Amino acid sequence: MIFLGLFRESILFAINALVVNKLRTFLSLLGITIGIFAIITVFTIVDSLEQNLRKSVQSLGNDVVFIEKWPWTFGENYPWWKYMNRPDADYNELDEILRKCNGAQSAAFVASTAITVKYKSSSIENVTIICASHQYDKVKNFEIASGRYFADIESSAGRPVAIIGDVLAKALFPNQDPLGQSIKINGAKVDVIGVFKKEGESILGGSSDTQILVPINYARSLIDIRSENLNPQIMVRAKAGVSNEDLIDELTGLMRAIRRLKPLAEDDFALNQTSLISNQFDGLFGIIGIAGWIIGGFSILVGGFGIANIMFVSVKERTNIIGIQKSLGAKNYFILLQFLFESVFLSLIGGIIGLLVVYLITLLAGDTFGMEITLSRSNIILGFTISILIGVISGFVPAYGASQMDPVEAIRAN
Amino acid sequence: MESVIRKRPILLTIVCILGFVWIVFSFPAVFSPSVKKLGDWYPALFGLIVAASFISYIGVWYMKKWGVSLFAITFFVKEIILIFIDDVSYAGIVFSVFFISSMVSFYKRMDSNL
Repeated sequence: MIFLGLFRESILFAINALVVNKLRTFLSLLGITIGIFAIITVFTIVDSLEQNLRKSVQSLGNDVVFIEKWPWTFGENYPWWKYMNRPDADYNELDEILRKCNGAQSAAFVASTAITVKYKSSSIENVTIICASHQYDKVKNFEIASGRYFADIESSAGRPVAIIGDVLAKALFPNQDPLGQSIKINGAKVDVIGVFKKEGESILGGSSDTQILVPINYARSLIDIRSENLNPQIMVRAKAGVSNEDLIDELTGLMRAIRRLKPLAEDDFALNQTSLISNQFDGLFGIIGIAGWIIGGFSILVGGFGIANIMFVSVKERTNIIGIQKSLGAKNYFILLQFLFESVFLSLIGGIIGLLVVYLITLLAGDTFGMEITLSRSNIILGFTISILIGVISGFVPAYGASQMDPVEAIRAN
Repeated sequence: MESVIRKRPILLTIVCILGFVWIVFSFPAVFSPSVKKLGDWYPALFGLIVAASFISYIGVWYMKKWGVSLFAITFFVKEIILIFIDDVSYAGIVFSVFFISSMVSFYKRMDSNL
């Protein structure tokens, strides 16, 4: 009960400090506010970017291996001159993989390029067309909002059918159902049989919202699928219980056998997985996080000095009251906690203002940056933790000094 | 009982100064990305340890027995957490044990009041 009274009294003192010396208290709290704002803003942006990246990587498939010409690792020692002489992934290799790879649940051949799509007088340029073999829906994670995926016969016979992205559907068919309509791709009529569910923008690019998916056997009549410009690749999804490493080992042996490579010859293909991308981004996020940590750390340090200063002034101004309280029997810890609570409370006000500013920015930003920015629970906890910590550290010395005062000298003080 | 001002031995002055320097360097670690990645509540836990360590050094600086007790408790809690997250630093343990033994050697000369 005594602690509740103490707590209430300390909060009232802190509010009083805010009301009586508005400018002084505001300037002192500004350091904490800026510090919390800087740190939490950077962490919020980094967390949102990471979340978006994970989502994008997940849509590519965590358990999918991509057989391609170019590896996804980049750095100083990137022998591009070797890679450019490699052969592209071939559609015939897909059959061999499907027949012989024990660790593969499914596999699909995929090639993509940019085309122009037309519907009546509407025309959209630079639309990504994905030309894929039938099992594409089993290796790529996507959902169809309306319509259906290709039937087996449509894929194998190369029927002119397409599944289009949500953004394309809204742009080409603003006031009508796209299903059953015919669009024109490179002058050829293609029936729309499905619309992808809206995915949102992806940090890695390649969102299905602006893509068109057609069967590879149909795409042969439209474009040269052997062209290097189409970035042909074979996507292989691992069976349940088979790790990516095991699948990569098996695929390495299989691809070497398919391409008849001699035992000492280097691999002429790259086996990529999504973790390669996320690992590279982890380093970048780490650097951004550390930058925010340093900038915010200095602001908080300055804010801490501001709080310590205001507490020293507060102790000085209330020396008489401390003397009276002690002469009436107040214990040292009572005086100590009184000032410590006040310091923590002031620091918390600064931190809460900083967090509110971050929250307002996340609300205002919305989807402006092509991704959702949210103030996470962990960042709110972190903001409160730093505020309380800085309040305790910067307020302890003045509070302890107050608790050690001699009551007689304190009452006499002017 | 009135507090008595006691002269602080030079060894404890050095220990406290080293401790304050440690606090300055470990304070930013509370909100470092690496600690944040351990879990939502780890920054708060580390913050509590840093704050308790700071208060304990203040106590030892003023030759208070509670400072030594608080330092020892903080040390054990910190080591338990470090063992839990598999990040034990043997150099850190050696330093802390040296600090505790230095404090304990002057424990009888310290004030038992707050």
